[in-house]
Amino acid sequence: MSTEDVKEIIRGYILEEFLPGENPAELTDSTPLITGGILDSLATIRLVVFLEERFHIQIQAHETMVDYLDSIADIAQLVSSKL
Amino acid sequence: MQRTLSGIYWWNRLLPIALILTGAGITAIALTADLLNFGGPRGIGPNQVSLALSGFAILLAGVVLISPVNWRYIGEWLLVIAAAVAVAFASDLLIINGLPEFAAKHVALASIGFSLLLTVTVPAASGQKRDFREWLSVFTADRVRVIQFLSVTVQLGLLVLVMRQFQLENQAFYLSIAPLTFYGFLIHYFLPDRYRLHFFLLLSLAAIIGILGLVPGACLLAIGLGLIGICHLPIAYPIRVTLLLATAAMLIALRVNWIPSPALSVIWPVLASMFMFRLIIYIYDLKHGKAKPTLTSTLSYFFLLPNVVFPFFPVVDYSTFRRTYYDNDQFRIYQKGLQWMLRGVIQLIMYRFVNYYLMIAPEAVTNTPELVRYLISNFALYIRISGQFHLIIGLLHLFGFNLPETHHLYFMASSFTDLWRRINIYWKDFMLKLFYYPTYFRIRHWGANSSLIFATAFVFFLTWFFHAYQWFWLRGTFLLTAPDMVFWCVLACLVVVNTLYEVRRGRKRTLGQHSMTFGDIAALALQTAGTFTVMAVLWSLWSSESIQDWIALISVVDMAPQDIAVLVMAFLMITLVFGVMTWLKMRAESSAGAGAKTPAFLRTATMTGGTLLLLFFIGNPAVYGQIGGQAQGLISDLAVNRLSDREAALLQRGYYEDLIGVNRFNSQLWEIYNKRPSDWVAIRDTAAVRLTNDNLILELTPSTTIDFNGTRLSTNRWGMRDRDYGQIPPPNTYRIALTGPSFVMGLGVSDGEDFEWLVEERLNRENAGERYAGYEILNFAVPGYSALQELLLMEQKGLAFQPDAFFFMAHQREEDAVVMYLADRISSGADLPYPGLIELARQVGAVPGVTKAQAERLLQPVRTKLLLWTYRHMVQVSRAHDVLPVWIFMPTLEDPLHEEEITHLTGLAKEAGFTILDLSDAYDNQDPDSLVVAYWDKHPNAKGHMLIAEDLYRKLQENRGEIPLFQQTVSQ
Repeated sequence: MSTEDVKEIIRGYILEEFLPGENPAELTDSTPLITGGILDSLATIRLVVFLEERFHIQIQAHETMVDYLDSIADIAQLVSSKL
Repeated sequence: MQRTLSGIYWWNRLLPIALILTGAGITAIALTADLLNFGGPRGIGPNQVSLALSGFAILLAGVVLISPVNWRYIGEWLLVIAAAVAVAFASDLLIINGLPEFAAKHVALASIGFSLLLTVTVPAASGQKRDFREWLSVFTADRVRVIQFLSVTVQLGLLVLVMRQFQLENQAFYLSIAPLTFYGFLIHYFLPDRYRLHFFLLLSLAAIIGILGLVPGACLLAIGLGLIGICHLPIAYPIRVTLLLATAAMLIALRVNWIPSPALSVIWPVLASMFMFRLIIYIYDLKHGKAKPTLTSTLSYFFLLPNVVFPFFPVVDYSTFRRTYYDNDQFRIYQKGLQWMLRGVIQLIMYRFVNYYLMIAPEAVTNTPELVRYLISNFALYIRISGQFHLIIGLLHLFGFNLPETHHLYFMASSFTDLWRRINIYWKDFMLKLFYYPTYFRIRHWGANSSLIFATAFVFFLTWFFHAYQWFWLRGTFLLTAPDMVFWCVLACLVVVNTLYEVRRGRKRTLGQHSMTFGDIAALALQTAGTFTVMAVLWSLWSSESIQDWIALISVVDMAPQDIAVLVMAFLMITLVFGVMTWLKMRAESSAGAGAKTPAFLRTATMTGGTLLLLFFIGNPAVYGQIGGQAQGLISDLAVNRLSDREAALLQRGYYEDLIGVNRFNSQLWEIYNKRPSDWVAIRDTAAVRLTNDNLILELTPSTTIDFNGTRLSTNRWGMRDRDYGQIPPPNTYRIALTGPSFVMGLGVSDGEDFEWLVEERLNRENAGERYAGYEILNFAVPGYSALQELLLMEQKGLAFQPDAFFFMAHQREEDAVVMYLADRISSGADLPYPGLIELARQVGAVPGVTKAQAERLLQPVRTKLLLWTYRHMVQVSRAHDVLPVWIFMPTLEDPLHEEEITHLTGLAKEAGFTILDLSDAYDNQDPDSLVVAYWDKHPNAKGHMLIAEDLYRKLQENRGEIPLFQQTVSQ
């Protein structure tokens, strides 16, 4: 699976679960998710559970930080590194 | 190796040599002046330091330019160090035989700036082909950037002036750290990127040494380096963590004085503030973080510049600190920093308004409207914390740290989880990163909801624990109170319930601006008002000294129709205010459009600069002096960093009772106690005071001499802080019995320095042998005495000494002192020998069985009657024994002087029949800080007592007709 595919899956999930009704074009690869207030602690946990189930990977507690999950590009990089 | 001098242009050869010769010449002149004793007998002074720094900088510039490219960095490094020294010198942090004057400071800075411009702004690689036009290019840089730089500089300059005008927050900040930031920014801006972080670190270190002093500062740095060093030992990670815990245990032993360490008492709050949380984050990030630490980034992180003057500091995350460093255009970062600093300044001024004018003491709350006022103002006091944090983080932006917001419109939180996300965001992030996620991930096999509930509850438990932990490191004592525990428990429950609700219902998130209907705004305003109301009530619980006190506070609501109407009206008003604020916020966001999150530099610079200019003019005495009336009084009061009436009362109580009322960090009083050395003794803990087990409560121990905080304090055989007297006065001697609390007794000054001693000496020196053979003033004052205790003392002890006059020294908050004393006596079931007074108290419900706090609240409405009763009784007793009763107003230095209060008290004393003397002008035109014993002890020092003595003597002379001390003049 390419990184672009991963990004699209993540984008789709975020739009559906956390941003229903929002314009998909506004959610770019670099849109700040944690620092922008879209991913709070609850949403982060839900996203992590989704990533683990969807991509069959294991995410560690310290990887739930802003360093790894602040944008779709960051998340895709984390996922790709574990695939 | 290529040399600069090998170039073909004469300019390349001439300039460095000229610079070296000039610099060496100037430095030699500066040093020779001292060697030849031109600089005066005191050795090297500030003017010579300035000149030497200037010469050295110019010399270094020449050395840099003439050096081979590979060696050039040595000269540049020296220049960067010299620049940091010059900035510290200009900020009064480097004091050598006196403070430098304006010219001396700026000559040194200008020379450093000139040298830097000549060297580090011209790349080393261009050394071979440098010519005059290249030098000029420094001054003809991109015009937009020049304008941006000038704009930031002007705003920062205004900000420094405003902070100084309004005395924000503490003297070390607005007199030293603020100028250090300003001058430091100017130099920092012209440095190449590779030197900027190093320069910031040097400024931070200079601030620590400059503020704490060389030895304490060096101790702090040594301990800090030791702790950081343990983190990097080449041993297994768990062993490093164990070593850190062992070191922490040793520091705990030092902190609680199990191992005596007086030298460390000054540095504890700062050291604790720098390491107690950041070390936990740092060691975690060493294992898990993405960014590998560098020596400079690590030292900069721990010894962060403004931390030395702000012991209560946001918990900055190391990864964020590294990640956000210059992660955006530098001018956007600087401008955002200025905006946040301005926000901090405005919040701190608002805090003063709330603290001085709106906040009332919980004991003073007697009805529902007052309760509403107390709840709102008590919660609103939190803006001091957010104001300080905005100031701190804004300041860091000026050195490239593009850190996130610490608080975001927290009063507008629409739920408890929303509040948790908006208030002290750094703390929330710290808890999430280190505890919430690791806990959740460890137990997630329990199921989603159970894991969420447990992890959230655990985070709140830790927040409570860390609050006590923080209190321990900053104060050296444990904070373990029932209100504290109940507060965190209730808040945890609310957040858990709110979290589960959000799990089920979800939370609305948006990517951009969305218009809201009237219904949306109304619903949001209602939710916000509900959250605010619950938090204000909870906050009052947190601020209470005990659960009983809080219940007594809330119990003022009778649930009568008018009380319910007041509560409903208050809630509707809060809802309306939040509705309007939500609407205004929505309008502002929609009018800003797509660029709302990154507004244009010019627009924000204009708004920030304009507001600063306005504040600068408003806060200028020359401007507000023209306004006149109440507005002038308000502005001049807001421009002063003082204790509120409530805090002053608490400080006074703190001299005699255990530390009270300062279990929160956002109090001015907390700062005072925080600076008090751990070995500073309270009078109640010395042999000079003993309990009486009667209505006097305490008295001075007879024939005792102690060393009291560096002063000699002696009592005579009668238990007076005075010389010895016989019980029967000598013939033809005018004897005065003087009563009052600690500042009358002369607490904080040595024997013979108090005003009573000085006045007695002068009376005898200038008048003995004329009307009377001599004069005696017997000082019966005892710490913490109220007017009622003084009446008791007069009857039980004073009259036996056959005085001719009774000098009763009154002060601000005279009524409160009587209320507090009477409440204490009634609640403890004591039997006061004044039936009339007991009846007055009984009429308002203050009877044995009520708590002290309840009794205080019940007695508040009759406080004036109680004081008047006491005054009348004093006069009656005096006259019955042929003693002249004199009421003397002596101002204290904790409380602000209010004309109305003096007039009110004087009126009561007159009505009771006293002869009146008013010393309220004794301290006029004096700096109050120069009159107090210490920053944490507002008793008058020797100078203060001298001023009181002079004023009292003058007033006695002016009133010689009523108080027959002096020889009558012919006309009289």
